[in-house]
Amino acid sequence: MDESMIVGKNHLRVDAWEKVTGNAKFTNDYTAPGLLFARLVTSPFAHAKIKSIDTSLALKLPGTKAVLTGQHFPFLTGSLLKDRPVLAVEKVRYHGEPVAVVVAKSDHEAKLAAEAIQVEYEPLPVVNTVLDALAEGAPLIHENLGMYKVVKPAAPEPNTNIAHRQKIRKGNMEKGWANSEVVVEASFSYPKSDHAAMETRCIRAQISAGGNVTIYSASQSPFVIKKLISRYFNVDAGKITVHTPFVGGSFGGKAAVCLEFIAYMASKAVNGKEVKLVISREQDMLSAPCHIGLEAKVKLGCTKDGLIQAAELSYWFDGGAYADQGLAIARAGAVDCTGPYHIENVWCDSLCVYTNRPYATSFRGFGHSELMFAIERAIDMMAKKLNIDPLVLRQKNAIRAGNTTPTQVVLTRSNIGSLIKCLSRLKEIINWDEGARIEIDENKVRAKGIGCLWKAPTSAPNATSGAVLSFNNDGSVNLSIGAVELGQGTKTVLAQIVAERLKMDMSKVHVTMEVDTRTNPEHWKTVASTATFMVGNAALEAVKDVIAQLRQVGSVALRCSPEQLEVGYEKVYLKHNPNIFIEIKDMAAGFMFPNGNAVGGQLIGRGNFIMQHLSHLDPTTGRGVPGPTWTVGAQAIEIELDKRDFTYKILRAASVIDAGKVINYKTAESVTMGGMCMGLSIASQEGFQFDSNGLVQNPNFRSYKLMRLTDIPEYIVEFVETPQIDGPYGARGLGEHGVIGIPGALANSLSIAVGGELNRLPLTPENIWKQVRGDSK
Amino acid sequence: MISFDFDYYQPCSIAEAVSLYHQLLAAGKLPIYYAGGTEIISMARMNQLFTKAVIDIKTIPECNVLHVEGSKLVIGSAVTLTQIEESNLFPLLSEVSKRTADRTSRNKMTIGGNISGKLMYRETVLPFLLADSQLVIAGNNGFKTVSIHEAFNERLHLQSGEILVQLITEQSYSTLPFKTVKKTKQSAIDYPLLTLAALKKDGQIRAAFSGVCRFPFRLTEIEKEISQNQMVVDERIDRALKLFPAPILDDIQGSKEYREFVLRNTLVEIIEWLEGVS
Repeated sequence: MDESMIVGKNHLRVDAWEKVTGNAKFTNDYTAPGLLFARLVTSPFAHAKIKSIDTSLALKLPGTKAVLTGQHFPFLTGSLLKDRPVLAVEKVRYHGEPVAVVVAKSDHEAKLAAEAIQVEYEPLPVVNTVLDALAEGAPLIHENLGMYKVVKPAAPEPNTNIAHRQKIRKGNMEKGWANSEVVVEASFSYPKSDHAAMETRCIRAQISAGGNVTIYSASQSPFVIKKLISRYFNVDAGKITVHTPFVGGSFGGKAAVCLEFIAYMASKAVNGKEVKLVISREQDMLSAPCHIGLEAKVKLGCTKDGLIQAAELSYWFDGGAYADQGLAIARAGAVDCTGPYHIENVWCDSLCVYTNRPYATSFRGFGHSELMFAIERAIDMMAKKLNIDPLVLRQKNAIRAGNTTPTQVVLTRSNIGSLIKCLSRLKEIINWDEGARIEIDENKVRAKGIGCLWKAPTSAPNATSGAVLSFNNDGSVNLSIGAVELGQGTKTVLAQIVAERLKMDMSKVHVTMEVDTRTNPEHWKTVASTATFMVGNAALEAVKDVIAQLRQVGSVALRCSPEQLEVGYEKVYLKHNPNIFIEIKDMAAGFMFPNGNAVGGQLIGRGNFIMQHLSHLDPTTGRGVPGPTWTVGAQAIEIELDKRDFTYKILRAASVIDAGKVINYKTAESVTMGGMCMGLSIASQEGFQFDSNGLVQNPNFRSYKLMRLTDIPEYIVEFVETPQIDGPYGARGLGEHGVIGIPGALANSLSIAVGGELNRLPLTPENIWKQVRGDSK
Repeated sequence: MISFDFDYYQPCSIAEAVSLYHQLLAAGKLPIYYAGGTEIISMARMNQLFTKAVIDIKTIPECNVLHVEGSKLVIGSAVTLTQIEESNLFPLLSEVSKRTADRTSRNKMTIGGNISGKLMYRETVLPFLLADSQLVIAGNNGFKTVSIHEAFNERLHLQSGEILVQLITEQSYSTLPFKTVKKTKQSAIDYPLLTLAALKKDGQIRAAFSGVCRFPFRLTEIEKEISQNQMVVDERIDRALKLFPAPILDDIQGSKEYREFVLRNTLVEIIEWLEGVS
């Protein structure tokens, strides 16, 4: 077996058979005798005082076991800023906010009891948009913002609706504008939307007589659940075990920890009996945190020959009623505010703004598909004004080694890859040279639009991962890791990394599927496209450890020095004479000489990884190192538009991403394609619609539409490979990137088709019609 | 999940169903007739509908008829939209039906349920309005056959306990030139921004509308205007629009202004197409 026998090959996913046969078990698939059920009571108002909550009727129902309201949770939660009660206290701040939870003998009785709870509200003035929220004299959503505890770097502005302001001040703006011969300025709008994972959120919790807490959660963050339950409820961390079986899609939405607190308290209220918290689709859309929205203002200055000199960027992220990760998204948006372009002079204020809308948490791309929509539209507008080919303008300004990012990180070939190569390849595969706009007939026009992408994983600076290897008596290896399988194929890719380094067949590598926080080593959270990078590096460390042990024991058994030995093909053998060897299966639990003497003992490999050289951002300039690397790429969309009514068909979608090294093309292709589909869906039709009272008008799949199989275009996915030297086999993160450039690319293609500027999503035919007519909204 | 309890009945005959209805009504059970159940289940789940008894009419033979008798096409009210599409006995109805909901739903949705449902669109009524169909309705006093124009005005008007049993259509309507257009906000499977169904009979255009106003309708006054082929199309449409029976909808599917824009385009498309065929 040569090097790269496994990495770079399309190995069948290790979870494939369970999933295609319907046998894979998800959190809601488990039941047990005596299991109790919890249901939420949620707010029908976007902003209202809670005058009273009458639980007496619900408590009288025969199946009811307990009812809890905000008064049972006298504390605030938040991973960066503590601003959110577990259940609303005194007032509700968004439509769908949980105000009570009931526990009953059956799900049916829980639903009945939830419906019997009577809450009296007094409506308050609603802050419906970020512009309303920032207006002078706007009602305050959090009157006590100044008193909230800041957990991680956050800059809330008391007596306003600003949860965080991240500043970027790079270079000299005066100089930048002085050098600019052409200026483009425009506003952009990207609505709040839903994650729409196939599996709705689900949690089970129980507390044993001995005080052991067991939680099952469809989560991306089982280790964070353990930490937070320990912190908020004063339970020893060692007594808490969190299990995460397969997760049926998450897209960032299951990284937030919120319903777990309710499930834990619900179990506590019934003497620790196991309680399952069931979330309906409507509650999953409204009550649980959603995808952030963005209002942006972009001003770009450029020389006549197309070199960008200055960027002034205002990003107002619509965080909704609570900050959660919205605050970190505003920061991430600032970190990469310019898109993948080299700009010397940058001014950016990126805000997380409170509104009376469902609160936001991470969503695939973490603020990047939002800001890239604004940037990519502005780049196309600039190209038009300069009369330069938009692809050429991107090539001229593409960021590369030696340039600095908005937070002044000096880039290397390893940590930035090659956007130029991505653009060149994209140009060929979409046949860009035939022209961006082609008239088909009197009514139909075809057009192509481009959108570039970049993203760094903005983790905690000390984010860490571990991996443990153990062996079976057939010589096969078990890989124990804390990364969650949520459909992205992480277990397969990590198994390939281990198999490659051990030169072992994939069928001999067994990965733990469910995550169990007591037995699996911690992985920070399965977010930010980091599992391959972080867990992959930890797994390589573990393999290195095991190889050292095998050589050590092998040297005793084979009477040679460890340095003379090689490990591979399930054997330890002499480099210069592979005919002298021992099989790993004969060493897995110690090696025994023919006379009965034994050495070695069990082989257990350990590896870990911690982010290095990251730093907090300077609050005044933003200077700092936010992430270890960037993944760049270029995407394009081709559409055919009917000029009469602005209906259109998406014909082709293409992506070329610098993957560093593709570990498994099929999983890389499918995760990218999935991202592209998501980007198209968001940009073409998704988005919550609010009435003037801040109530969501489409909180269900009857009225909230997603792309259907019949709508999907031809997908073309290719990769460029500029190795990331510190990544496993040179691989970069890929999980989120497919989504990032797509909204911009779709909007660019449609703008080219209609000959106008489409700067507001979603691009439904009506919204195109309105923007072409020049309506402001 | 539906949180309230209700009884389920499955009568074998119309007489049994009607009699059950009255008994249950007298017992305070707020009975409703049940066929495909797509609307009842989804509304009950959200507490937008309440009942203590459902009477399933799916096994009643008369409600399951789908055939041609002499010159008439007879469709039982419990026939599913999928069955109608697959039989294709009335192509215009098949086309309208195909654009209603998704296939999985249409496997359950019945023609009677769609026409008498609570959702305002009731798109599958349009072909019957155009074809001057007859409705067979059963009640306490047995069966009666009435013109659809008599029983359907904005919605189907039935007396308490009456069942829509069958829809009867002259077979000659199945061979007339027709065109139907459904426009949605974006996704092909969605409630209509508007659905238009039209056919040409004796040189005159007949047109029926769903999703334009808060109920489906066909008005002969509108048809007269759009059929005046000595006049330019835009002018005919201007005159027709003045005759619409209610304000044009303004909701999450689309604004009033955009609907009117799409309505005009769609009318042009339909009129030009129908006038082009002989």
